[in-house]
Parts: sequence; structure tokens; C-alpha cells
Amino acid sequence: MKKHSLAIVSVLALVGLIVAACAQPTPEVVEVTRVVTETEEVEVTKEVVTEVEVTKEVERIVEVEKELEPVEIVLWTKEGEADGGLQFVQSLADAYTAEHPNVTFEVTNKDVETLREDFLTAGLAGAMPDLLWTVNDHAGPFTDAQLVMATDDLFDLGKYVASARAAVQLGEKTWGVPISNGNHLMLLYNKDLIEEAPADTDEMIEKGLELTTGDQYGLVYNQTEPFWMVPWLGGFQGAVFAPDGKTPTLDTAEMVDTLQFLYDIKYTTPIIPAESDYDGADTLFKEGKAAMIINGDWSLGSYKDVLGDKLGVARIPMVSATEQWPHPYTSGVYFMLPVSLEEASEAKMEAVKGFISFVTNATNQALMVAKLNRLPALEVALDDPLIANDPILKGSADQMTVGTPMPTVSEMRCNWDAMKPEMGAVLADTKAPADAAADMQAAADNCVATLD
Amino acid sequence: MQYLTPDVIFNALGEVGSTVLFILLAAVVLELLVYFLWSPLTAFSRVLDRRLRVLGAVPRHAASTILLVGALILVVAMVSPGREPSPLAPYWPVPLLAFVLGSFLSPNLVKVFKPDLRLPYMLLAPAIVGLLLLQVYPLLWELNVSFTNLSPRHFQSPDFVGLVNYIEVFTKPVLKQVHFVPVFLRTLLWTAINLTFHVGGGMVLALLLNRDLRFKGLYRTLLVLPWAIPQVIAVLAWRGEFHYEYGFVNILLRNAGLSALQWLTDPVWNFLGMCLTNIWLGVPFMMVILLGGLQSISGEFYEAAEIDGASPVQQFRHITLPLLQPVLTPAIILGIIWTFTNFNVPFFINQNELETSDTLVTALFRSAFQYFNLGDAAAFAFVNFGILFVLSALYVRASGGLKGATE
Repeated sequence: MKKHSLAIVSVLALVGLIVAACAQPTPEVVEVTRVVTETEEVEVTKEVVTEVEVTKEVERIVEVEKELEPVEIVLWTKEGEADGGLQFVQSLADAYTAEHPNVTFEVTNKDVETLREDFLTAGLAGAMPDLLWTVNDHAGPFTDAQLVMATDDLFDLGKYVASARAAVQLGEKTWGVPISNGNHLMLLYNKDLIEEAPADTDEMIEKGLELTTGDQYGLVYNQTEPFWMVPWLGGFQGAVFAPDGKTPTLDTAEMVDTLQFLYDIKYTTPIIPAESDYDGADTLFKEGKAAMIINGDWSLGSYKDVLGDKLGVARIPMVSATEQWPHPYTSGVYFMLPVSLEEASEAKMEAVKGFISFVTNATNQALMVAKLNRLPALEVALDDPLIANDPILKGSADQMTVGTPMPTVSEMRCNWDAMKPEMGAVLADTKAPADAAADMQAAADNCVATLD
Repeated sequence: MQYLTPDVIFNALGEVGSTVLFILLAAVVLELLVYFLWSPLTAFSRVLDRRLRVLGAVPRHAASTILLVGALILVVAMVSPGREPSPLAPYWPVPLLAFVLGSFLSPNLVKVFKPDLRLPYMLLAPAIVGLLLLQVYPLLWELNVSFTNLSPRHFQSPDFVGLVNYIEVFTKPVLKQVHFVPVFLRTLLWTAINLTFHVGGGMVLALLLNRDLRFKGLYRTLLVLPWAIPQVIAVLAWRGEFHYEYGFVNILLRNAGLSALQWLTDPVWNFLGMCLTNIWLGVPFMMVILLGGLQSISGEFYEAAEIDGASPVQQFRHITLPLLQPVLTPAIILGIIWTFTNFNVPFFINQNELETSDTLVTALFRSAFQYFNLGDAAAFAFVNFGILFVLSALYVRASGGLKGATE
């Protein structure tokens, strides 16, 4: 009996697999009547042909679409859940699918470094996604590997902010479509703990020492990534590249001063935690255990949710020794199109282009400003009163004025990889700033030599 | 993000089902082919062997080896390292022909095609094909890459650079600062520390459990739990507990009046954190293996030793250890290999990418997938493989530990 039962179950399982494997998606037949007005949008359903009567004079567009080719767009995004970015991306995808029922999305979140690594690996394996939502400095390695396509001929890029376009321009071509402008660091502070942002580093240290107790810190920031170090390098009048934009210049007096400054605010005049990564700093600030945090515009939404009116935004304090403002890197977030789209169907390419235009239209740019507190890439959206009247966005825009465009060349990867361990060594008190600067220069030179 | 609707579930099952079905069908077809072709091939190999005997065994071996090795080299050269296909790809019949000729010439062919080996080869055929596709082909691809400068700037069609990558493994930093020898020595230290505590801790626990003890089953279950938890989950949990502000380790230290430690940024404490995590993970495995071995030792030996006046230490040294050797030797070899090649613990605990905490395996991963020096990384991988192979062979030979199992 047991043998028979086993045989029957096996046969049923096999039949089930065969049936499931042979299942074919049925093509959808959609008849859509869409009425477009200047101020109204009509919700479109798949099965129902709906005609809405309007009292105003409107432009009627009636489209009947039969046997639409189903298109699935695989979108990799660097937006995370913590600051609501991923949810925003998903909501845009859902909204586009609601208007174009044949287009569906598979949205996958990957953090910035993972996205870069995985995309290069996918490129080698011939399994690239259909669209990237990522940061501008990925343009360098992706164009070197010839894995993304230029967008100059695909979109009207003139409607985007010039600085945003410039951040993905390499070799006279543009390698992305801007979504937001900025992606820059700034000083955020909790008004319950500190009434006004410090004007310079001396004041920051003075106030920080008063605020740093056993359970609280004056300042927190991500101590593991050199992205948080380079603003100070700018404040000490240093730069990571020579004027040619490709030769690393890390072993400089300015870099030594920067590393010494970071060491001092940890050990000499301690106002920061002994150890803190991004999540640690973020949590301390949200829990009210840190008066100030240096973080990026992507975090504004979540801090606003937690602190409300208590959140203050200001420039990273001026370096007292040089009387220069720190220069955080400015760039933005971009769509990048993998070259695999050239071999995809026309329907998919049109769907991708349509989605990009949809996300960067005035309505959704304003929505992004409202939901994520990021500056828009669309030039006309900058005139939105939401930006001028919002103190947070105003502070963010003010910080951008002293920012510096982030280099997108591949050599910048060498700089990041060289600076990270040395910055860590100085902060761990295992290496002197002068030695660290020399070692990071050697590492960067070594890396640049291997690029070719 | 796709929500888990019935449509999504059904589609996913369909994709999995069709893949499984395809594999099953392919395996059945392959086995039928082997089954029906075996007899003709057996007859053919015998006829061929008789006809080719005039050439002599040595020339046949030599010619066969040259053709087979040549076929292998051609296949390696044809496997495209970059995105563009290799220019040699259209000549694929050449290595195939060389392989077939080399096989036919070989005097060993007739030893393979024997009537009584039809069933074993038929059953092994799908596994052989699977291994060829999933192990051999990637290895050949990697070998090819190790002779090229495959990197983001040479992604489409990398250049052949010969042995340069292999030389640079020893002469240039494998990452940004650190060279090969310090990483290798650190990996040896990591392996030695972990294995010492794994074997020592496992032995102590096994000896404690190898006696009449109340709730022995409960203790055994609890002690095995670290091994049962998926390793990545356990390591990520430990990493969280090493967090400076919120980890329980530092909270305990602070409550005990001690200073909190920088587990994730200080080179020494990060390395120790890695060791602590891996020891916690590895002791249960050794405990289970050694407990099994202890339970197979007859109590009569210990009774006789007691009668002769041997102390517990002497009993352990002269009875337990020698009789455990057939069990201990493979366990230690496995321990060496697993610890040496352990990726999860060093990679995830060292989240800040301290080069002072990298082992050979994590350094290889970073070189390949973070810095994308794929040519260098491929050469590095083969050097690692060579070291591990030599270490394992040396240990087995030196200890003679497998003699007891084979006698």
C-alpha cells in the first residue's frame, strides 16, 4: 500500500510540474478610453471602457490598444527602505503600471557599492537589468566597461539642471538621465539639543564638548566612508585630483590636516563616538543621542518624520584654520540605461523611455520634493514654491552652493579605495595622518597604473 | 518588488517546474544514449585496440596524451574571458577532434568500455555532465582569465598577458596595501587559532558528554544549535553584537566597568572578533564527530588500562587519542580546509574592509568583485588552490592518519 501511495504521489507531483511548466500567460486584450484634461487624471482600469464626462473643454484622446506586448522592466535602485526611497520608487512603478497595464516592474534595492559590483558582474554574465537608478560616479566604471548607453539622442536633456547633467558627462556624451540633484552632505541638527548650527569648526568643537556626555554626542557621522571626509578636505583647500582631473593628489599637506582634524575630534577634543558606521550615526541622531549629524539629502525625509520642526539644516561648519567652507561632493541620482536594451524589443525600449519621462515629469518631481525632500533635476521644478518656502530644502540648496561636482572618472574609484582603509587606520589610531596620506597616495597610484 | 500574489507564486512554480522537468528529461535522454551506445562502443574499442597494438603502448600513450592535453589547451583558449566571443570559437571542432582521436589512441580506452561498467557509467553520466558544466567549464574560464588583463577597461576583449598576473600575485599588493605573504601568514594564523579551539573545545565537550549524564540529550541539542543555524545569519547576528554602541558585548563590558572595544574598526579586536565567532560556530561540529568516535571505542581498553594503573591522562594519551585518529584526522583535514577557505566570517565581521583582517579568500573576493581586477584575481585564486592542495597532501602524508582506516 505504501509503495502504491508513493507511486501515486510521485505521478501527481510530476503531472503538477508538467501542468505548471506548460502554463502560458494569456495575452491581455485591453481597451482603454482615456480622457486627459489639464487638471484631472482619470484612473484607467483593465477591463472597463470608461468615458468620463467633463464640463470643461478638454482634449479627448481615445486610444484603443489591442494585444499589447507584455513588458517587464527589471529595475535596480540604490534607494533604500529606511528613508522611504524604495517605497517611492515602487509607488512610481505602480503608478506607471496603472497607466500602462502591459508594463510591469521588478524593483530590486541594492546599496550603492553592491549595485556597482553586481552590475559589472551581470555585464560579464550577460544578465543585466533593464534600468538602473543609481549615483553619478557609477558612470565612470560603467562607461569604461561599455555597459551603459549614452542618452543624448534618446531624451531631451536640455530640460534638466545643467549641473546635474554635467555630473554624468564623460567624453562629450551624457551617460544618464538626472532624477534628483544634490546627493550631497550637509549639517543636520536637533534643535532640542542645539539651538543654532555652529558657524565654524571651533564653535562646533566647543559646543560639541558641552554636549558630549556618556550617553550623548555632539556630532556623529559615518566614520567608515571617505565620502564623509572629502568635504573637510575641501575646507582645508585640498582636492583629490590634480587640475587634469585624473591624477590623484592624496599625499598633500591638506590631506594630512584633514586627517589630523578628524583624529582630533575623536581623540583630542572628543565630540564623536569611538566607532560609528552609517546606521550607528543615523540611529543615534534619530534617538536624540546626537546633537548634530553630517548626512546627505537622502536622509532628510526620515529625519523630518522623526524630528519634525526640530530638525535644522545648515552648511557643514567653516574650517576655522582656513576660513573656508567645506565642499561636499554634489551629484545626484540618475537613470542609466544598460546596453542590453539595444537588443531588447522596441516595446521594452519604449516602456523604459516612457517610464524615465514619467518619473522626471513636473508632477513627479514635485512629488519627490514633497516626499523625499530632494532637490529636483528638472529645471522648471526648481521654481516650485515648495522649495523656496521650506527651510529644510532651502538649507539643502544653500549647502549645494558651496559644493563641488563629484568626479565620475574611473580614477575616482582608485581614490575612494585608497582613502577608505587609511582614513580607518587614522580613526583607529593605528597610523599617523602623514603616513596615512603617503600610503593612500601609493595605493591610488598603484590602482591607476592597473586600470590600463 | 513583486508582491506574493497567487499569480506570482504560480509563475515562479512554473519556472522552477519547467527547469526541473528539462533537467530530468535531459538526464533520461543521456542515460538512454549511454545505455544503447555502450555495447557498440565496447565492441568498437576492442577492435580498435587490436588494430592499434602494432603501434606499441608507449607511442600510443604519448600520442594520446599530446592530443588530449592539446585539446584541453585549445578549449581553455576558446573560452572567452570577456563579453565578446573568442576569435577561436568557430574552430571548436578542432579540440573535439583532438579529444576523440586522443581517446581512441589511448590503450586505456578498452579498460573504460567494459560490458559490466555499462550501468555505473549510465548512472554517473548526468553527474559527469553536471560537473563538466558547473565545475570544469568555470575552472577553464577562470584559467583563461588568469592569463588576461580582464578588468573594467578591458571588459569587452581583454588582452593575453601570459604569466604576468601570477608574478604580480607575489610582487604587487593583492589589494590596495597588503601583499600576498602577510595575508597568507594571517590566514595560517587564523586557521591555527580556530582549529586549536575547535578541536580542543570539541574534545572537552565530547569527553563530558561521553558519560552517563542526566539531560545529556538536551545538552547535546543546545550545544549543536550554533552549527544548525545558517552560518550567514549567525555571523550577521554576531556582527550586530560587536556594534560599539548597541552590541551586547560592549554593553556587558561597560556594565562590568570595562571600556568598550572597537570590534569593527580596530585591527586586533576585529581579528579576535572573527576568531570568537568562528570558534563558536565550529566547536559543535568537532564535538559531534569526536563524540561519535569516542562512542566507538570499546570500554574494555579503559578497564584494562585501569587495572594496569594508568592515570586518566595516560588513558587519554595512549588509548583515546590513537583510537580516535581515524576519526580525528579527516575531521582536522576538513577543519583546515573549511577554516582556511571560510568566507562568511571574515567577510561579514570585517564589514569596514580592514585589510589587516582579510584572509586569502576574502582578499580574493575583494580583488575580483570590489576592485574588479579579474585577471589578477583569477591568478590569485589558482595560487590559493595550489597552497590548499599542498597543505592537505602534506598533512595526510605526514600524519599517516588514514592508515588506521585502511588497514
